[in-house]
Amino acid sequence: MTTEAQQMIEHIRQLIRKPNVTIDEDTSLVSSGLIDSMALVDLLLKLEDLTHMRIPAGKVQPKDLDSVAKMFATAQRVGKPRK
Amino acid sequence: MSGVIPFQDLVEALEAAPAGRPFVTAWIDEDEQETVTFGEFRERARTQAGMLLQHGIGAGDCVVILMPQGIAAMAAFAGAMMQGAVPALLAYPNFKVEAEKYRSGLAGVTANLKAKAVVIDEEFPEEMLGHVSLGAETKLLRAADGGSKARKLPVAMVQSEDVAFIQHSAGTTGLQKGVALSHAAVLRQLKHLAQALHLDPATDCIYSWLPLYHDMGLIACFILPMVCHVPVVMQSPVDWVMHPETMLQMISEHRCTLAWLPNFAFQFVPRRVPRDRRHEYDLSSLRALINCSEPVRTASMVEFQKAFGVRREILQSSYAMAENVFAVTQSNLRRPPAQIWADGQQFRSAHRIVKVAEGTPGAVSFTSSGRLLPGHEIRIESDAGAVVGGGAVGEILIKSDGLFDGYYNRPDLTAQAMVDGWYRTGDLGFCVDGELYVAGRKKDLLIIGGENIYPQDIEELVAGHPAVHDGRVIAMGVYNSDLGTEEIVVVAEVENEALLARAAEVEQEIRSGIVGGLGVAARTIVLRPPKWIVKSTAGKPARSATREKLLKEHPELNREEVAQ
Repeated sequence: MTTEAQQMIEHIRQLIRKPNVTIDEDTSLVSSGLIDSMALVDLLLKLEDLTHMRIPAGKVQPKDLDSVAKMFATAQRVGKPRK
Repeated sequence: MSGVIPFQDLVEALEAAPAGRPFVTAWIDEDEQETVTFGEFRERARTQAGMLLQHGIGAGDCVVILMPQGIAAMAAFAGAMMQGAVPALLAYPNFKVEAEKYRSGLAGVTANLKAKAVVIDEEFPEEMLGHVSLGAETKLLRAADGGSKARKLPVAMVQSEDVAFIQHSAGTTGLQKGVALSHAAVLRQLKHLAQALHLDPATDCIYSWLPLYHDMGLIACFILPMVCHVPVVMQSPVDWVMHPETMLQMISEHRCTLAWLPNFAFQFVPRRVPRDRRHEYDLSSLRALINCSEPVRTASMVEFQKAFGVRREILQSSYAMAENVFAVTQSNLRRPPAQIWADGQQFRSAHRIVKVAEGTPGAVSFTSSGRLLPGHEIRIESDAGAVVGGGAVGEILIKSDGLFDGYYNRPDLTAQAMVDGWYRTGDLGFCVDGELYVAGRKKDLLIIGGENIYPQDIEELVAGHPAVHDGRVIAMGVYNSDLGTEEIVVVAEVENEALLARAAEVEQEIRSGIVGGLGVAARTIVLRPPKWIVKSTAGKPARSATREKLLKEHPELNREEVAQ
């Protein structure tokens, strides 16, 4: 796992405040109800931060952010390097 | 051209626009924007019209447009009107919308529209498509490729009394109601509005992030500039909510003069733009930032004004709704909207406005939404159904030369909303000195022991507590059948989790604040860590969803069911 993915997992842990839940790269977040859709703005901003990319929000659907692995794959697919 | 709109229909207005003038500039990314002139926009609209014609879509056919906010969606909309068809723009799915909710909302709205065609873009997510309610005769079409050559189209015979388009009332997805509007009604509204705004196509430029599927975005920021030949600079709501600072960049760069914003945006933007970057933006081109769609709060506008050093008189107000095409009132752009102070006790118990001096203890303040546009009438009705005047507070009913005839395919809802040609807005307000003041939504009102308590007033008081994350407060009334009245329940987010350790102390301070400010006691104060309150798609606290979440977590608060 990359450092960025680890940082994202740590960020999500803080966000959901459920110490007993284990999250790995493939844990489903949105469809399992761990993350509510309103928190996704925050996650997308964090993803931009960690990848140094600009991610066009209009090209992202909830399923694209359903796990940490999918988030980084989405960034690769639609993100643009920051100026 | 202020106030003079010499056209019989919206298509004629678009055809008459100067070909070389810029129309829409769409923000795509921080280093990418696309501009089309009126001439180029017309060509794109004709291409879409040709595509619809090819599929047999013609006069009077309803066409649903499900495309991301941008030039292509606007061209599809205008193209449908060129064919005499009736377009309706619906929300495009985005990453913040729960898929299940979106799907059921879309199914409901599309079923009611009985559309002849649904136009989508290439990237419309497959998993949502199954839920677009397609009748046996509905065609699913992909928007025409902008590159293909526009064909010569037969001229559609559009009559000014024909339905031009359907816009949806604001509301929870799925419960949105379609409002069919004629060319003539829309043009009458635009004439009044252009006059009130002193709109000048030679110097004005509109900025917008507002969704095209609501009246503020559709009428003020697309149809108004299209008909009056004014340039518009726009971005999508999701891009704005992610990076609200881009709004300031665009206004600075394009020297925009007019924009409409809901009340919460006046606080949201300053709080998302770091202090050290605020001076980088030049907002001096702005003539008016119009606070629209919710009760207007002076405190919110002052926060924006202080953060960016804009002139006080550019912060304006309006009262608008889809059922009336758009605006009912508009403040006078030459001065800041009037603000009054009224006796709080009289307001809550006797439901009337007794003016007092600014700063009087227990006074409540209101900001005017402006005067009625020409061709508009208003009446205020008490709970008992009597027409009241002289500063009495009641439900606002309107009548105008742009009022809708009814909800599309919903005679049941129409019957509930209309009385003798008057439309019941469901908003509470009053008139003072010829100006309208909006106090809140009738359904949100808390009735505590016979007193009307507006949740916004409690929320503003609680938000003033230093431990509370500003703006993250929801006040609600929960019915207590033992007492036969509603009781106040407040949920607030604290600035940081550490503050929860001294929750009892904070709660007590909040309680005293509410009693001191409003003279009523809150039954329960619930403090929660940051990000607990459910937010709407635009980022503001969502009242009913938060209520549901709270009552699910604390079923003991809900004593309503015991009564049944």
